[in-house]
Amino acid sequence: MDHKELRELIEIISRSNFSSFELEREGFKLKLVKDDGVTIAAPAISHPAPTSALPVEPRKEASGAAPAPVETSAADEGLVEVASPIVGTYYEAPSPGADPFVKIGGRVGKGQVLCIVEAMKLMNEIESEIDAEVVEILASNGQPVEFGEPLFKLRPLSG
Amino acid sequence: MFRKILIANRGEIALRIIWACRELGIRTVAVHSTADTDSLHVKFADEEVCIGPPANKDSYLNISAVISAAEITGAEAIHPGYGFLAESAHFAEVCRECGLTFIGPDPDVIRMMGEKSEARRTMKTAGVPTLPGSEGLVEGAEDAHSIAERVGYPVLIKAAAGGGGRGMRIVQTPEELEPLFDAARTEAGSAFGVPDVYIEKFLAEPRHIEFQVMGDTHGNLVHLFERECSIQRRHQKLVEESPSTALDEDLRGRMAAAALKAAHAARYVNAGTVEFLLGPDGEFFFIEMNTRIQVEHAVTEMVTGIDLIKEQIRVAAGEPISFTQDDVVSRGHAIECRINAEDPETHRPSPGRIQAFHLPGGPGVRVDTACYAEAVIPPYYDSMIAKVIAHGNTRGESILRMRRALESFVVEGIKTNVALQQRIVTDEDFVRGRFSTRFLERYQPESREVGTT
Repeated sequence: MDHKELRELIEIISRSNFSSFELEREGFKLKLVKDDGVTIAAPAISHPAPTSALPVEPRKEASGAAPAPVETSAADEGLVEVASPIVGTYYEAPSPGADPFVKIGGRVGKGQVLCIVEAMKLMNEIESEIDAEVVEILASNGQPVEFGEPLFKLRPLSG
Repeated sequence: MFRKILIANRGEIALRIIWACRELGIRTVAVHSTADTDSLHVKFADEEVCIGPPANKDSYLNISAVISAAEITGAEAIHPGYGFLAESAHFAEVCRECGLTFIGPDPDVIRMMGEKSEARRTMKTAGVPTLPGSEGLVEGAEDAHSIAERVGYPVLIKAAAGGGGRGMRIVQTPEELEPLFDAARTEAGSAFGVPDVYIEKFLAEPRHIEFQVMGDTHGNLVHLFERECSIQRRHQKLVEESPSTALDEDLRGRMAAAALKAAHAARYVNAGTVEFLLGPDGEFFFIEMNTRIQVEHAVTEMVTGIDLIKEQIRVAAGEPISFTQDDVVSRGHAIECRINAEDPETHRPSPGRIQAFHLPGGPGVRVDTACYAEAVIPPYYDSMIAKVIAHGNTRGESILRMRRALESFVVEGIKTNVALQQRIVTDEDFVRGRFSTRFLERYQPESREVGTT
C-alpha cells in the first residue's frame, strides 16, 4: 500500500460510519480509529520485522539482528541494561586473540558494536543504542546466552 | 543412542517427550518463549534455553533460534512434537545440514505428504483408494455428467478457489446436476472471482478412521491399529478412541493393509498416521498422511502397551523397531477426551490463571498435561490444556472410567470444555457407537456445514 492508497483509504473511512477500521496483510497491519467521528487519530502503522527465513548466507553486517532490548534496571539507578536479542554464543572480540570490543569504564557511541552473539555460524554484532559508559559486562567470552539474557550495564551519557 | 535431545515444543507434548527421554537415560533440553518461563517442560528438562518473545514466529517457529539453542547446549537430536515445526520439511532439512537428527521422517517425505494433490497422486499410483472425483477442473456440464456417472451419485461440486461452503453443491441425481453445476459456478465466480469447480464423491456421514504406522531405517514397517476420530468440531478432533466400533476384522485388515501400502509407497520412516474417510457401506478413502506423532497417540499406547515416543527416538537413532507386527496386540479399549481452555458457548480460547486444579486418577486413567494450580495459560498458543485417556477391558468400561474421570477433573479460574465432553460420553448415540464426523453438529446447530472433511 503506497501513500496515495493510504490517503484514499483514510478519506473513505473518515466519510464512513465506521468508528474504527483494521486491515491486516502479510507483514502489514493498519488500524484507523476515529476520534468522535470527526477527526482521525494518527494511524498506527506497524511493519513487523519479516519472519526471517533461515539465514544460510553470511550477512555482511548484522543489521538483520533485532536491536538489543534496552531496559532501565530499577536496582541500579540510571543504568541501562543491554539484553541479548537472540540465542547464541557470546564473543567479546571480533576474532580470537583480538582486543575486546569494549572494556569496563570505556565509552561507547550510539551504533558502536558491544559484542558478537553467534547463532548458526552467523556473527551477529550487537550495537549500543545510546551513547554511554560501560559499567558492567555480565557475560564471559564463549558463553552461551539466551534470548533476553542481560549482557551489559551502561550509564547513559547526558548531553 | 543419543545422549542429549532438544525438544522443540511446549505444553503436554514437551513434557511427554521429556518423560520418554528420562526413561531412556537421555538428557533433555527444553526451549521456551518468555511467556513460558514457568512452564513444567522448562522445570523438568535437564537444561532450558529461552529462545524468544511470546509470538510463535519469534520463538517456537524461529528455526535459527531453535537450532542455535541445540548448538549451544550440544544436543544431538531434535524432537519436534506436533504442531509448530513438526511438519516443516525446511526445518528437517536445516537440522540435517547442521548435523542434528530430526526425530521424524525424511524432509522429502514430509514435503510430499504436505502437498495434498501430490500425496493423492502417489497414493493412487500405489493402489491406495482415494476419494473418486475429477482430475482437476471440470470444464462444462457434459464433462460434469460423465464424471458424476463414473464416480456415482451423490457427488459434491466444490469451488476450486473455495472454502467455507460457498460454491459448494451436493448433487443427488443426474437431473439436478446441470442446474446445480451452473449455480455452483456462478456462486464460485462471485465469491472467489473464478468460477472453476471440481467434483468429488460425496460421503454424507463419513467416519474418520486413522491408522498408526511406524517404519525404521532397516526396512521394517508395522501398523498399530486404528484410532476413530469422528467426534470433531470444525475439523478439530475432540474425542478419539481405539478400537473403532465401525470396523470388523475383515475391514480392519483391509484398512491396515492400505495404510501399510501408503507408508510403503512413501518409504516411510518413524511414526506416522494414515487418515481415511470411511463411508457407511464400508468403502474407505485415503485423505492424508500426517508425518509426525499425533495428539491422540496415547490412545494407541494404552491399547498396545507400546511407548510410541520412545520408539520414535530409537528409530531416529538408527535402531530397528523393537517389536514385530505379530507383537502388536490391541487389548481392551481406550478413549481420549481433549480438554481445552475455551468458553463453552463461544468456543473462544479462555486463557488466564488456573486456580483450583485437581486431576483425575484411579485404575485405567491417564492424564497428559503440563498444567498445575496457579499455572497461567498464555493467550498465544493452542488452547488444549490436558488429555484425559481412559482404558478399560471393554468399550463400556472405558466409557464409565472416562465419565468418572471427567467428573473428578476440577479446573477453576479458566473456562473449559469438560462439560461438553461429559455430554458427549453420556450421549446415547456415542455410547452405541452410532456416529459420524457430523455428530457434534447436534450441539452446535449453527455450525451445520455442507461437505465432508
